Amino acid sequence: MNAKQSMLAILMVTVSLFVVEGALSAVGGKVLEFPADGRAAGEFPDVWIHGSKSAMDNDDPAVQVHRYNDHTFILRENKAINYEGAFMYLFFGNDVALLVDQGSTSSPALFPLRKVVDDLIDSWGREFGRTDIRLIVANSHLHGDHYAAWNQFVDRPNTVMVGLTHEEMMAFWGFEAYPDERIEFDLGGREFVVTGTPGHQASEIALYDKWTDLLYTGDMFYRGRLYLEDWEAWAASIKRLRALADDYPVAHLVNNHIEMTRKPGVDYPIGTTWQPDEPPMQMTMSMLDQAVRATADISAPGIYTFDDFLIYNEVPWAYTTDP
Amino acid sequence: MGLWCFMKGVFYIAGLLLLPAAFPAHGHLLNMTEMHLQGAQDGSAILEVRIDLGQSLMTPEAYWQAALANGRKEQKQHLEHAILALTDGLSVVADDRRANLTLRDWRLEAVSPEAIRNPLTPQMATLRFDVNLRSAAKVEVSLTEKLQVPWPCLLRVDIPGVDLPVSRLLTDDVRSSRAVAMVSGADTGNAPTLAQLASSFQSVVPAITWVAVGFQHIIPRGLDHIVFLLGLFFLSLRFSTLLWQVSCFTLAHSLTLGMATFGLVQVPAAIVEPLIAASIIYVAVDNLYSERLARWRMMVVTVFGLLHGLGFASALGHVRVPEDTFLLSLAMFNLGVELGQLTVLACAFLVVGWLRRWSAYQVRVAQPASVTIAGVGLYWLVKRLAF
Repeated sequence: MNAKQSMLAILMVTVSLFVVEGALSAVGGKVLEFPADGRAAGEFPDVWIHGSKSAMDNDDPAVQVHRYNDHTFILRENKAINYEGAFMYLFFGNDVALLVDQGSTSSPALFPLRKVVDDLIDSWGREFGRTDIRLIVANSHLHGDHYAAWNQFVDRPNTVMVGLTHEEMMAFWGFEAYPDERIEFDLGGREFVVTGTPGHQASEIALYDKWTDLLYTGDMFYRGRLYLEDWEAWAASIKRLRALADDYPVAHLVNNHIEMTRKPGVDYPIGTTWQPDEPPMQMTMSMLDQAVRATADISAPGIYTFDDFLIYNEVPWAYTTDP
Repeated sequence: MGLWCFMKGVFYIAGLLLLPAAFPAHGHLLNMTEMHLQGAQDGSAILEVRIDLGQSLMTPEAYWQAALANGRKEQKQHLEHAILALTDGLSVVADDRRANLTLRDWRLEAVSPEAIRNPLTPQMATLRFDVNLRSAAKVEVSLTEKLQVPWPCLLRVDIPGVDLPVSRLLTDDVRSSRAVAMVSGADTGNAPTLAQLASSFQSVVPAITWVAVGFQHIIPRGLDHIVFLLGLFFLSLRFSTLLWQVSCFTLAHSLTLGMATFGLVQVPAAIVEPLIAASIIYVAVDNLYSERLARWRMMVVTVFGLLHGLGFASALGHVRVPEDTFLLSLAMFNLGVELGQLTVLACAFLVVGWLRRWSAYQVRVAQPASVTIAGVGLYWLVKRLAF
């Protein structure tokens, strides 16, 4: 084989590979790219479905599905079904999806979360040429208003159930020094940073999505009453989130509830099933900075009011009769 | 008794004083039931039930009366119906035999009758039962149809000698935990999750896990490194030729892997990755025109080894290396990489080694293989530069 023949043969191999790649991507699903550089855009709804005056007459869907962008879905439980109106998140990577939280209602008849998620996975799979998509069922933290429909997924094929104990959560994400660690989590090419954020609940995590620059803060920071069972842990978690935001660009902070009105410092009463004057769910870095400043100012249990959130710091709500 | 009455009075007055703060303190629905079955090595277990009794098995008033009762004996009398409902309605089946529940102790949270009446300020009772599991291999916990509790009911099972607990969620529709293995290896029909297996494995031999991670960075994830090694392989089937090349390559990539991991050298992936592709083209094209190992090829292979080490470091950067065992983990990762390389070369020998004495080996095997490797390298080079 002379030099010319060799070069020609090498070029033929290269061209053949490009042809095969092109043919495969035309026929099947091509590999989705989730570059960490830049920021994948997305949109929030102008207003979320926010319940109704009469829960009995409510005909909104049990689960509101909002497509933030092609591979990111934000779901909300109908407030008429449960006043928590909890948000849930479905993130897609190549051939794998991550469901964070499962709402406040167990009954599939009232709250068919499994069907909604299955339909979303099917339609997403058709759109992007995917047929075998694994689902990871995870939780932001271990409070019952966020795992009630967990059971709907236990018999789902091709599904990983992270588990509902602290130890199972830590093992799945790979924490060895919770909460300070930052875990790099690869969701089918879509990179997340996971860190511990206890304070509201002792197993809580936050997720940062490098592709969208969304920072998901669960129940530890949202527009509402921040119920803190451990002030020191929460203060450290808020600072940990701030440090994360120093190292990674943040587009929005997203979370689990809306309990505030649009009037600064005014929340809806607990148990409200109609919130016609809801502010957006997403929050800004200036709000996070305000929470960081609050950690320096607050030293005693009590209720502290801020424009966009209320801090319920270790407010005693029960004690034992045990002698 | 006097002290108890005094304490009760203090609790009551304190409860009233704290009432305004107590009501709004937790607005999330958190009066769901929780159960915890803690198995012991001797085959016994404790079942702890945390339940909002005043919202389920008792009226709020009856629960408040129980909380105010004089002493444990009287308190137990107030709780009698609830205890009976639980011991009847909670089924713990150990190896197909239902185990008896014997009340061990209890604790009642109670701020005020108003707080008990409000499900948003859950006043939880914690009751613990002794359960004799008789060292059963599997256990199933369920709630009978007549037992209504605030749903859902989260069950945690701690198995003696096993790091990870098992969690199950019981609901009004799904009232059984299904079988939970209480000894490792018991057949329950429920396969453990991959995460559980990995975690158990890691806790036993953490270093071996890093060997596995290193190995995976060659097989299956390090396709470009595999192709480069095959490029080295197809120069000559002489063992010494391959040994020299692989040794230089290994020493070089170990050096840069270590340096990059410690932050002593940093080269962007946008530069390293195309150069790795170029290195593949180089060794393959060189195979077409060289019959023996030239000294300068050794030098070039060493330089390419330095490049590939940076590539490994970049890949390792995506994995969290524990700080307390950093050096050991790094060494084990590198060992895994070497094992991966040796596996690739062993496979290559198995596939074409037996043709080494064939006179047409160079023309019919080595040259086409090298052309293919160079073509693949060019494909990667174009992709890494252009896309």
